[in-house]
Amino acid sequence: MTTAPYNYSYIFKYIIIGDMGVGKSCLLHQFTEKKFMADCPHTIGVEFGTRIMEVSGQKVKLQIWDTAGQERFRAVTRSYYRGAAGALMVYDITRRSTYNHLSSWLTDARNLTNPNTVIILIGNKADLEAQRDVTYEEAKQFAEENGLLFLEASAKTGENVEDAFLEAAKKIYQNIQDGSLDLNAAESGVQHKPSAPQGGRLGNDTPSQKEGCSC
Amino acid sequence: MSFFKRKAKGKDLERPAEVKASRGPVSPHSPSVSPRNQHAILEAAGPSHVAINAISANMDSFARGRTAILKKQPSHMEAVHFGDLGRSSVNYQAQDTRSRLSKTVDQVLRDNVAMPYYIQFMETRSADHLVRFWLEAESFRATSWSRVRAHSLNSVKHSSLAEPASGLCSPGSPDSPSDVRRTLGDAEVDIPDPFSSQPPSRPLTPSPQDANSHGGAATVLVHRNSFSLDVGQRPGTPQQLQHSRADTPTRQPSSRTGTPLKVPSTSALRDLSDKLMKSIERDAVNIFTKYISPDAARPIPITEQIRNDIVAKICGEDGQVDPNCFVIAQSVVITIMEQQHLSEFMRSHHFCKYQIEVLTSGSVFLADILFSESALFYFSEYMEKEEAVNVLQFWLAADNFQDQLAAKKGQYDGQEAQNDAMILYDKYFSLQATNSLGFDDSVRMEIESNICREGGPLPDCFTTPLRQAWTTMEKVYLPGFLSSNLYYKYLSDLINSVRADEFVGGNAGAPGNSVPSDNDRSTNVSEGSQAQQGTKRAAIKILKNFDEAITVDIASLDPESLYQRPYAGRMTFGKVNELGQFIREAEPEPDVKKSKGSMFSQAMKKWVQGNSDEAQEEMAWKIAKMIVNDVMHQAQHDSPGVKSTKL
Repeated sequence: MTTAPYNYSYIFKYIIIGDMGVGKSCLLHQFTEKKFMADCPHTIGVEFGTRIMEVSGQKVKLQIWDTAGQERFRAVTRSYYRGAAGALMVYDITRRSTYNHLSSWLTDARNLTNPNTVIILIGNKADLEAQRDVTYEEAKQFAEENGLLFLEASAKTGENVEDAFLEAAKKIYQNIQDGSLDLNAAESGVQHKPSAPQGGRLGNDTPSQKEGCSC
Repeated sequence: MSFFKRKAKGKDLERPAEVKASRGPVSPHSPSVSPRNQHAILEAAGPSHVAINAISANMDSFARGRTAILKKQPSHMEAVHFGDLGRSSVNYQAQDTRSRLSKTVDQVLRDNVAMPYYIQFMETRSADHLVRFWLEAESFRATSWSRVRAHSLNSVKHSSLAEPASGLCSPGSPDSPSDVRRTLGDAEVDIPDPFSSQPPSRPLTPSPQDANSHGGAATVLVHRNSFSLDVGQRPGTPQQLQHSRADTPTRQPSSRTGTPLKVPSTSALRDLSDKLMKSIERDAVNIFTKYISPDAARPIPITEQIRNDIVAKICGEDGQVDPNCFVIAQSVVITIMEQQHLSEFMRSHHFCKYQIEVLTSGSVFLADILFSESALFYFSEYMEKEEAVNVLQFWLAADNFQDQLAAKKGQYDGQEAQNDAMILYDKYFSLQATNSLGFDDSVRMEIESNICREGGPLPDCFTTPLRQAWTTMEKVYLPGFLSSNLYYKYLSDLINSVRADEFVGGNAGAPGNSVPSDNDRSTNVSEGSQAQQGTKRAAIKILKNFDEAITVDIASLDPESLYQRPYAGRMTFGKVNELGQFIREAEPEPDVKKSKGSMFSQAMKKWVQGNSDEAQEEMAWKIAKMIVNDVMHQAQHDSPGVKSTKL
């Protein structure tokens, strides 16, 4: 896909958080480059990658901030949480400890992001079924209890990687549609580019299927 | 596509020379206009002028830079050019590690521009007494120290005067009263009184540095507090000092007549120091009664132990008040503000207004952008469009590396630091680097030796390339960013946040899914996914001449609702937006070309012309509208004591 300058109407800011070594950078790399980095070094602080995808009929660019999982970077990465529209919270299904630390990551995420930031839980390394240490069901339950979306994915095979980002984007878009996320507010984590100069109100931009009788 | 890539490389090299010539040196020190000027500008001249001036200043220099680049040949990025520019930001670490757009409580309290917004915000949460207490206590502390210092200097003078003077015209004697006057002058500078109509009648010699730094803050703080303090309080003090000072010159002639100096000067000094002490005590008691005593109207929440400690410090055994008596209470208050109020403030429309003020002040620095998450979001997008995102990525990574290493202090692990540094090296510096930035050999070798340092690399390992990256972003990309569509979008998003939140009244932030993390907001947020219309149903009570209150639904006061036809769908020709402009929605005239041509010509246009006038104008409209709204909003809420806060 050509990255033509004005090809997208929205930009959503994501952050990826989680313990070190769970595969955050690999997920990002798989998503943006469609390749698996077998021996990628750990992230220093933050990095970001972008990709344009189609969400509910709209072209959306995702600006994804990949944070370092090491505890020593925790203080610096906290400053990147603010203003995120979506957050991917990643754990490794083959290491129970990464699952146990989720409540700490979730607390940070809830404290530092907006109340309506969409958080999706990702169980990475789903291809290593033989070494599974966390069942799908228990993670699913944790996610439901906390109001999170949930998917198991594999950065290595690419399974569910696109869906992970896409599901979150759909939810964000839905929040915009029903008004709970004001996309013209700063720090919503969403940039909106209207294609023609309009009032900037949401109702004018989306197709008018939702507006009842339009005859 | 490759054309653009080549252009990107060339741009980095050439633009520094051009932009540097055409744009004045950007001072690394923040030259903030005084708060009064800022407010005057906003209120009188209209914010659109400020915005337009800032924008056109950026536009001019940038446009010149752009056209110059297009004429040049692309060439390889060389560090020597960065080195030239590095001179202007030699100390970037020291002063530029903070954005004016992201604040800690401490920074807010010391920032004259942010303070009014913060006080307004705290008022909506009925917590402004915390801020006012802190301000008064801080001002008390500063002025008390100056008075104490004056007192000590007086004591010194006193003892030197006790030496038998040779009577007339001894070189020491005429000086000493003026010394006293000068030290009083020091104290005086710190307590200028807004109500006192007597201009200082003595020579204002420069005061010691530290007195000024406290005094500066104290000056402003006193100005700010003067509305809330009793009127009689402050004027009493300087006037007394002036009286007592007026006494000393009259003593001087008597000294010339031959009577020994020490007797009259001694008593004058003692009077003086008594008065100083009394005024300190009076101030302390005043603050105590207002905020700390259990009978106070709005006491700050401190423990009994702290309260007793303060009492002990005020009523010291030697009759002297400890100027630091409120320090502990102040730190308690700061902690409360950090934990309970700061993040809400950052999400409130008051903070948005403050950000708008900073961003339209005409001088936005790179630090403001890079250290503010919301601005960084837009800047990252801009850098990606400019195909220079690697510079930013490197800067982010190296800066984070530096920060976390510096924060380690006692637990420095050399091996770990070296591993981290090697990752950066491999990515950006090595000859096989995946994201080479074109740093030249000398920098690379410096990094190599820093990394291979015995014991591991130090936090300043990447200082040189960091500075070069910073300078590149500051000189080459920041001007363009500040006149880009993205930046306008950022500003207009800020304005929109302000507008949306104003109707919500005390509730900051957009309504959304309820999150239990913030207890006192969960009830407000539980409205959940209602459209923004729902939040506009705040009712206003208008008490006119009648005794009964007329309750008005604020939504019905919105005149534009007349013009909205939510069900019209595609059947409208256009509408009048909230700024009063007619926006055409039907198809434009057939002879107007809608599409702007190929991607190439679009990009070229963007490069050559910079930003369009329409966007500029629209921005100005929006800022004006925001200010008008704000004034109306303030007028509707007729609060007695707070007229001092300005916007």
